[in-house]
This record gives sequence, C-alpha cells and structure tokens, in this order.
Amino acid sequence: MKIPDNIVNLLRIKDINDAIIYFATSSLRGNINLLPVSLTDVYLNEYILLPDLFAQKTKVNLNENRVGVVSIVLPDDYRNITIEGPANIIQWGHPKSFRFYNLTAKDILNNWGVWTKKEDVLNEINENKPNVFKQRGVIVIKAETINYN
Amino acid sequence: MTKLTPRQKNWLEGTGAHIGTASKNGVPKVIVVDKAIVENDSTVKFILSEKQKELIVANINENPRASLGPGGIGSIRAAYQFKGVASLKGNELFVNVDEIYSTKPGPEAGLRLDNLPYEDIIRFETSRWADDGPPR
Repeated sequence: MKIPDNIVNLLRIKDINDAIIYFATSSLRGNINLLPVSLTDVYLNEYILLPDLFAQKTKVNLNENRVGVVSIVLPDDYRNITIEGPANIIQWGHPKSFRFYNLTAKDILNNWGVWTKKEDVLNEINENKPNVFKQRGVIVIKAETINYN
Repeated sequence: MTKLTPRQKNWLEGTGAHIGTASKNGVPKVIVVDKAIVENDSTVKFILSEKQKELIVANINENPRASLGPGGIGSIRAAYQFKGVASLKGNELFVNVDEIYSTKPGPEAGLRLDNLPYEDIIRFETSRWADDGPPR
C-alpha cells in the first residue's frame, strides 16, 4: 500500500538527526528485537529502506521470519504510527536480478547500497556517528498495514 | 540480577519507550508510551491507554517477552535495548528487565551490557556519552 505523504516526508533522507525510528522483528518463537535507526528513505512511496549496518539479530530474525514493524512518533502531535509488512535484507552479493516484490537488488544496491553517497553519515553533527561506516546491504520493508496508535 | 544504571533510568523515565512484543509465532507489534517509571532498579512500569493495552495484551498473554527502546527527541544517544518479562496489571505494564544491549552503531552494536560488572557498565557509558539522560 502507499504510505501517506506526511509519513513519507518524515522518512525521506533530509538532515542528519532528523528522525529516529525502531524496526521490530521477531524469531518464529517470539523473540522480539528492536533496531533503532536514524537513517531511512522511502522508495515508490511503498518501501521503507534502512542501511544494514551489521544488524545481526535483525538479520537472524528476517532469515526465518520475513516480517517487520516500523515504529515512528510523528513530531507534530506525538502520535505513534506503525507500519507492518514483509521485510528482507538485500545484500551485496545478491545477484542483480534478485527480487523482493517489484524491487530488484540492482535497483536497491545501486541507489542505496552505499548510504554515505546520499547522506553525510560521518559528519560530526551526527549524534549517532559511527567511527567507521560499513554497510552490508539494505533492509527493505514493504508497507502493507499502517496503524495509528 | 540486572541493575539499570542512572543514565539508563533517566533516559527511560525522560522519554518513555517503544515497546515491542510478539505473538508466540513471531508476529511483532510495537506501541510507544511516553512516560515510564523505573522501580527497584530493574522493573520498568508504563501506564497504558485502553488502545495501547488492546494492541499488546494478546501477545503478552501468550508470550511475555518484551523489548524496550528509548523513544523521543534526542534518544538517538540512548543507544540501549532492554529486554525482559512483561506483565499487565490493569492498565499498568511492568517489564522486568533481564537483558540490556548496546545499540551504538559499529562494533559495539549488540554488545550485551548486563553481564558486565556494574562498574564496567558505568565506565562504558561515561567514556561514550557526556550526558546522564535527556535534556531537562
């Protein structure tokens, strides 16, 4: 489903430190994990993209249970929005033709596979600046349900 | 027994948290509660609205594991994930924290903190962050 414009704008690349979201995944036995993310973008108004910076538990969970929830707080009224849907990690090493719904690894990795080309992650003003930036791939969540909590 | 540090308590109490739960088959659900109270060093209490309670009660009844991530402005510096056992009493949600992880990006992402000696956790925090919680 298409994500409403106000949420797309919130999640699009703008300034560093602009928004923090959580990405929740779970093992098939219900071991929940929350990944905090400050780098996000949206593609086709339907897919939320996050750089995979060695999110190891997220990867383990997605390898057995390909669903996730993105949790956001809207800055205007502090409402909580959750976006649920199938999720996957598109990684360097996938064949270019690898598909996730109507995306290909080529589309995603060519555009978001090196996040530092899009956003100045290593700038000193980044409150969560890593010492080094190594990206293994891109986490993709296809919006299927949006809840206003 | 897990013991939250003053910085961890300040961030949780100052900003509340995103609270993740999952069904026993792994269907995740997240709510955000903007206030929290830390009791007895390891139990975090949240007051839920009826809707928030509705969203997670089924998950907690079948799978009491919950995960907390500090929310709110500035919480990017509160790079922690707290995991524990959740229980509901009326509209109060209690999470008894038994695992604490660093979520600081880089090689420390996923580092388990609660099994370090308490003094080492304090040292870990003070060497990485100048604040002791969110701006007041």
